Amino acid sequence: MIIDKETCIGCQMCQPYCPMGSISYQSAEGKCAIDLDECVECGICLRPQVCPTGALQQQELDEMRNLRRTFSNPLVPHKTTSVPGRGTEEMKTNDVTGRFKRGHAGVAVELGRPGTGTRFRDVEKVAMAVAPIGVTFEQQNPVTALMVDTATGKMQDAILGEKVLSAIVEFDVVIEKLEAALTAIKNVAPQLDTVFSLDLASRMSEDNTVPTADLARKVGFIPSYNGKTNVGLGRPLAKGV
Amino acid sequence: MTHSLHRHGTVENLREDYVVFAIAAQTVNAKGKAPVFGEFFKIVNKYKPVFCGDMKTGNVLAVGLDAIADGHQDNSIVHAVYTDKNTVAQVLNELRQADLGLSIVVSGLLDHVDTCCGQAGLKRHTIEHSLGIHGNTKRLPKDQVLEISTMCGHGMVAFNLITHMVDEIKAGKKTPVQAADELAAQCHCGIVNPARAAKLLQLMAG
Repeated sequence: MIIDKETCIGCQMCQPYCPMGSISYQSAEGKCAIDLDECVECGICLRPQVCPTGALQQQELDEMRNLRRTFSNPLVPHKTTSVPGRGTEEMKTNDVTGRFKRGHAGVAVELGRPGTGTRFRDVEKVAMAVAPIGVTFEQQNPVTALMVDTATGKMQDAILGEKVLSAIVEFDVVIEKLEAALTAIKNVAPQLDTVFSLDLASRMSEDNTVPTADLARKVGFIPSYNGKTNVGLGRPLAKGV
Repeated sequence: MTHSLHRHGTVENLREDYVVFAIAAQTVNAKGKAPVFGEFFKIVNKYKPVFCGDMKTGNVLAVGLDAIADGHQDNSIVHAVYTDKNTVAQVLNELRQADLGLSIVVSGLLDHVDTCCGQAGLKRHTIEHSLGIHGNTKRLPKDQVLEISTMCGHGMVAFNLITHMVDEIKAGKKTPVQAADELAAQCHCGIVNPARAAKLLQLMAG
């Protein structure tokens, strides 16, 4: 996103809408400007149409700016998922897809959430921390598509400095390795410049208990009292999960 | 991974915050589901949600109910927000009877949602826990700002916009309800809870 200097009147109406705080007022000019290194091309400033003069403008995006946009603007579906947003269907459709089976857990590390954004170098740190555990990165997740080696979690060097609103390292792991994977996440956390929200998905046991919650507590993560529940109404039901 | 999982809050204020949504599996049962999302949307609206939307068209404040109803696609994700568990149980019961074949997910207090499932004759299939926010948490704002901003998991509600709205309320330029609607309008999917947000804004504005 850019601000046209000719039409900007410096009213600063757009400033609070930017989740990255990348719009600043240039007092010498009496105009606003966008720091393109911090801007993630989410389009949030443009949509509410708060600019009285139309100075906010979507510039033509090159490959790297488009990468920022697809990870930051939830109105843009990723090619790998067909679903808008940065994640996948994950547990939302697990009743139909059987993605997470009993004996397995789904883990997602949502880097940059909430509200801070992330560079891909932080995404790579997390991916490389969990890869040696023997996790299976979600093939449909767009972050996985940017890895040069899913065995190591190494990502493309050219994108490491790019900033996006959020990016999600998502994987399946057998329950026997869940403790090691969560420990790896806990250990890499202090090395990050950004924050992450951590998700743990699991198929319910036959007796309506959650098989993974105690393993998370053992590592020192406290499962929240709120969360998401797939109530099993999707059809056809996945078999063998 | 998910846009509705990490709703920050206390047990007390999360008692008034539930999101019910429908999605189809793109590789299994999505083909031809656009009109079925319309049936889902009719059902959830019978129970007067405080907010709603479809990821493919936008939220009710931004585009209106008719545009949402007319715009469902096979890869829609359609949402409705409620403020009490009894209504959620009724919605789930009607959705069970309607047998739409869409995957239905509820975000909210897990124990309460389990109770709702039981009342609706359903058994929980899969659970997702939030294990919290970690990393460089010094970059986070105070809890009350987080409680509002995390209602939109896609990050459309900027921390700065929330504090700006608090200033607007303090200055008498907006009521808490108007400020909450302004914040909710930014959430394309329609999963912010404006009723809960208005209460939080009122507290923040003193």
